[in-house]
Amino acid sequence: MIITKKALPRRTLLRGMGASLALPLLDAMVPAATALDRTPAKPVPRLGFVFVPMGCDHSRWTPASGPELGRLPTILEPLESVKEDLVVFTNFDLKNAYPGTHSTSNSGFLSAAFAKHTESSDYYLGTTVDQHAARALGKDTQLPSLELSMDLLQTVGQCNNGYACVYQNNLSWSSPTTPLPSEAHPRIVFERIFGEGGSPDERRAALQARASLLDWVRDDIGRLMRKLGETDRRRVDGYLSSIREVERQIQRAEASAADNPLPDLDRPQGVPTAYADHARLMFDLQRLAFQGDITRVVTFQLARELSGRTYPEVGVPDPHHPLSHHGNDPEKVEKISRINRFHVSLFAEHVEKLKATPDGEGSLLDHSVLLYGSGMGNPSKHDHDNLPILVAGGAACGVQGGRHVRYEEATPLANLHLTLLDRVGVYLDSFGDSSGKIHDLFRSVPV
Amino acid sequence: MFHPAVSKGGRVVHPTATGGHTGPAGAALLALLVAAAAGLAQDAAPGGAAAAARSLLDQYCVACHSGNAANAGLRLDTADLDRIERDPAIWEGVAHKLRTSTMPPTGLPAPPGPVRRAFLDRLEEALDSAAAARPDPGRTQGLRRLNRTEYRNAVRDLLAVDIDVETLLPHDESGHGFDNVNVGDLSPTLLDRYISAAQKIARLAVGSGASSPRTQILRVRADRTQERHLPGLPLGTRGGNAFAVTFPRSGEYEVRIWLTRNRNEEIEGLGRAHDLHLLLDRELVHSFTVRPPRDRLDHAEVDNHLHARLQVGAGPHELAVTFPKTESSLLETMRQPTQARFNMHRHPRTAPALFQVSVTGPFKVTGAGDTPARRRLFACRPASQADEDRCAEQVLSTLLRRAYRRPVSAEDLAGPLEFYRKGRADGSFDEGIERALASALVSPEFLFRTEAEPEGLEAGEAYRIGAFELASRLSFFLWSSIPDDELLDAAERGELAKPEGLERQARRMLGDPRASNLASNFAGQWLRLRSLESFSPNARLFPDFDDNLRQALRQETERFVDSVLREGRSALDLIRADYTFLNERLARHYRIPGVYGTRFRRVRLPEGSKRGGLLRHGSVLAVTSYPTRTSPVLRGTWILENLFGAPPPPPPPNVPALDNPVSAKLPMRERLAAHRDNPACASCHMTIDPVGFALENFDALGRWRDYEDGAAIDPTGGLPGSGPAAAGPDGLERSLLNRPELFAGTLTRKLLTFALGRGVESYDEPAIREILRAAEPGKYRFSDLIVGIVKSVPFRMRNTA
Repeated sequence: MIITKKALPRRTLLRGMGASLALPLLDAMVPAATALDRTPAKPVPRLGFVFVPMGCDHSRWTPASGPELGRLPTILEPLESVKEDLVVFTNFDLKNAYPGTHSTSNSGFLSAAFAKHTESSDYYLGTTVDQHAARALGKDTQLPSLELSMDLLQTVGQCNNGYACVYQNNLSWSSPTTPLPSEAHPRIVFERIFGEGGSPDERRAALQARASLLDWVRDDIGRLMRKLGETDRRRVDGYLSSIREVERQIQRAEASAADNPLPDLDRPQGVPTAYADHARLMFDLQRLAFQGDITRVVTFQLARELSGRTYPEVGVPDPHHPLSHHGNDPEKVEKISRINRFHVSLFAEHVEKLKATPDGEGSLLDHSVLLYGSGMGNPSKHDHDNLPILVAGGAACGVQGGRHVRYEEATPLANLHLTLLDRVGVYLDSFGDSSGKIHDLFRSVPV
Repeated sequence: MFHPAVSKGGRVVHPTATGGHTGPAGAALLALLVAAAAGLAQDAAPGGAAAAARSLLDQYCVACHSGNAANAGLRLDTADLDRIERDPAIWEGVAHKLRTSTMPPTGLPAPPGPVRRAFLDRLEEALDSAAAARPDPGRTQGLRRLNRTEYRNAVRDLLAVDIDVETLLPHDESGHGFDNVNVGDLSPTLLDRYISAAQKIARLAVGSGASSPRTQILRVRADRTQERHLPGLPLGTRGGNAFAVTFPRSGEYEVRIWLTRNRNEEIEGLGRAHDLHLLLDRELVHSFTVRPPRDRLDHAEVDNHLHARLQVGAGPHELAVTFPKTESSLLETMRQPTQARFNMHRHPRTAPALFQVSVTGPFKVTGAGDTPARRRLFACRPASQADEDRCAEQVLSTLLRRAYRRPVSAEDLAGPLEFYRKGRADGSFDEGIERALASALVSPEFLFRTEAEPEGLEAGEAYRIGAFELASRLSFFLWSSIPDDELLDAAERGELAKPEGLERQARRMLGDPRASNLASNFAGQWLRLRSLESFSPNARLFPDFDDNLRQALRQETERFVDSVLREGRSALDLIRADYTFLNERLARHYRIPGVYGTRFRRVRLPEGSKRGGLLRHGSVLAVTSYPTRTSPVLRGTWILENLFGAPPPPPPPNVPALDNPVSAKLPMRERLAAHRDNPACASCHMTIDPVGFALENFDALGRWRDYEDGAAIDPTGGLPGSGPAAAGPDGLERSLLNRPELFAGTLTRKLLTFALGRGVESYDEPAIREILRAAEPGKYRFSDLIVGIVKSVPFRMRNTA
């Protein structure tokens, strides 16, 4: 590039970016206009889960020995500036994701549960860690949790392997039979977070209309239920809990209908063409949702399993999935590491921005525990051993960063999930295939 | 009332619990198998014909399929040939393997053709007569929500409103290859979105009350080439785009136009001034001139003045932005004519391009206008204030009958009328209707297709579904939408209970434009055309791939499938045809001369053409390729699964990593040889890879090639059991056409999956054979297969839980 962008007037840049034009304004606007009065007096923990598909190149991911996190390996290098907020784990596994597939890499990541092998509606997994957490952390927020992803376009016939597509595409499950659809369109995410446009009166009226529509759905479902058989009636019970949940969301939104009078024109409109711009926008929306305390639990699928996305922007014109079957070809492995590093770099920007965002007595990063990783280890073997996993942030929650935790023996990833749940006040005896809690994440606190 | 058509008389009477094998079915079965065995008698011991059937299994199958370690857990040593009805699933499996020649595996001794055929015929007859005595229609879920496509179509047919459903609802997950299978869920997110969607749609359809201005952004796909004339725009124009926009109210709208910028935020192609036209419903409403900037920084200002206020009536309009064409001479730059990507140094744009258009409004609202939506919705207008309640009831009962897809009762009307009254009290008659409409759109009776069970049946008993349930099955199968009034009337008159009445409706509906849904929605999933939208080949290897080509590829196949359906052609024409549909862009891609312009037209292909059937469609060839190269594995799997009907099993768990990396520089055939040498991979890839090799003459975009990297393409390959002669696409097509019942059967299974919204199971096979038998004399007409499904047991019946 010959000229630098700083020579251009700011407006030009915004016009050129098109979709993301609203966000720099929002940054300034959200805390000022609305969120501060809703930001809890006592900072609360937030949990973020970021999923990447198809494992990694371990030779460029795994840090040298430990426990100090020394020089970061190539893939993790973009996280250098937040190293002290980082715990990298080696030797976590997902036993329940076997026999190894892309579907179970995705479905096991947050559930650590065994996916019933079916393509039909009798799919069965387990409640995911984020949803357990949302039950505690989401009680007082407008949205108990937010599920995001990056793939807008549907591909068909690429999640067969005998598994229904729900396993491969949905990270979050609010019950073993309820996958939660994720959203990849920034405008729609924005509207879920900040509500639809219009004047405060219009917004309030719209919310009231929603509430009465919801009452009607409940009544109508009751009528329908009388006509149905026993099995279908059980399914309808699930619908009723969805109704209660949406009802609660409307009540919370009504409480803040006067806030955030954001002009329609400043909302994100389309989807940025470039993958990185789209990902940044999605990360920014997560940060705004944390910052405004709209939700405290977010899951984000940065790419999906079996994705054939190419990454020419980092010198990888080859599609990700076939490349991941690298057969130890050094050239292919190197390209996989570039994709891994690119994903990490986008996450690193997010972590840096969270660190730069004040929250209570520290930064938003101090109050957020972010888990980043994959449900697959070595993609060329489709295995679920030695998963690439790291935790960022959470200093205020006791996370002791700057470390590499290496287990001698394969340790269930579920142990980490169980430990995180424990820390946010959800006490379970076990989770998935967990064998206990881990003690390596937090500072030892004198009792 | 919910089940008007189900009566005692309509119920299927089962043979009493005679235990099957002692009943008439069992006896017939034995006789058939004896006859079957007679066909094999030449090898058989004189001990008995039944023993001969047994000996076929013993000779060819039992070596692997016996004992506790039987392959695939299938024990044919103990399976009882005399008691087929006890476990039809096993025998349907055996029949399937024999039919597709996938067992015994390649390389092991197999029964001679005629012997295999005779055994198979008798086996199938036995299975069919068992099924006739005791039909098993399976069980489609009783509660299925409309998926995204169905929702969009239902709103279109209910309200004459086209919605951008992708921004209203989350996408659906597919199972068994279709997105209408796993639709029993209602997560909070989905419910939330259904409510928002209902409010937005009601507002758009009725247009009552105030409406604060909102902005819609209309984007042009980044890889759309705008160098030449584009479809849907007036002749004599270049580039730009036409957008379908629904305007919520009559009033003023601000339209703003952005031009494409390169990575330095400059607008390329501004060597001279360019005119730009804004068209509303193809009428010129505004003309702009874009002038070259004086210096680089001025690029920010170049398109600043491209905005206009338009007075627009409410409802759907076509808004277009385009450049009048100023020269007709061909460009003779270094750029290849259809190079899609631009590069400011090597291939800069020679003319500006449209980036996006925003529409903001309404301002100065003049009213709700006279829109197709209002005409469709308002079955009456109140003559006076006193007449309002009567008219509201009329509007709503017409609406609800369509939306709920059945006659409506006073109880059904009560809820929406309540919404109407509140809206009327708060505002106007229209406001009341708008709120009632929103309530109808979130009603579970609209959002869910329900199939309730009649009272008094035993568990697992087969019964005929109600007339209105059948009407919905029919319309959602053929149109992915709600029934029209005529179909509901026919259901009400009881005509669907008779096979002729059902067939009459099905044939009528296949003639309706809405049946193009089978080409776009069904075939879009069956053939995976949907994946084209996310197909982006490597720009360096395929520099001329752009959205224009992507859309042309999709259109060719959709139009082709539609033509086979509407012209009463044989489904086999899908495999081999002497015509296709092309426009200039696609014809150039295929190197077919003499096709000019952006309009699609039917093109008759000469003898020996490289084009014709589906296997030669660029769409199919592209979605089974990687962005950088062809994949014989993907293509082979695709054909085995979607055309031949013998999908290879999924890759084994824990795929062993290949010990030695395979060089990417080797020819494809040699690269893949490595994993056929590996025993863990070989068992399946011996079958899969040769199928794909036969299409290696088509590159990753479906262009014909004789060489790859200087080496001649070797298209040897073919389907299981087709022999070595089947090379290239000709050979592949021949072997598919030699066994037409296999392709027709596969298509029927796919159609049945889509029609029922559930996976096809072994107990559906007798119905499938019946459909095929009925369609065989007409050479498997596509429409006959569809009508056969509509009249079949699984379509018209259901089991209780």
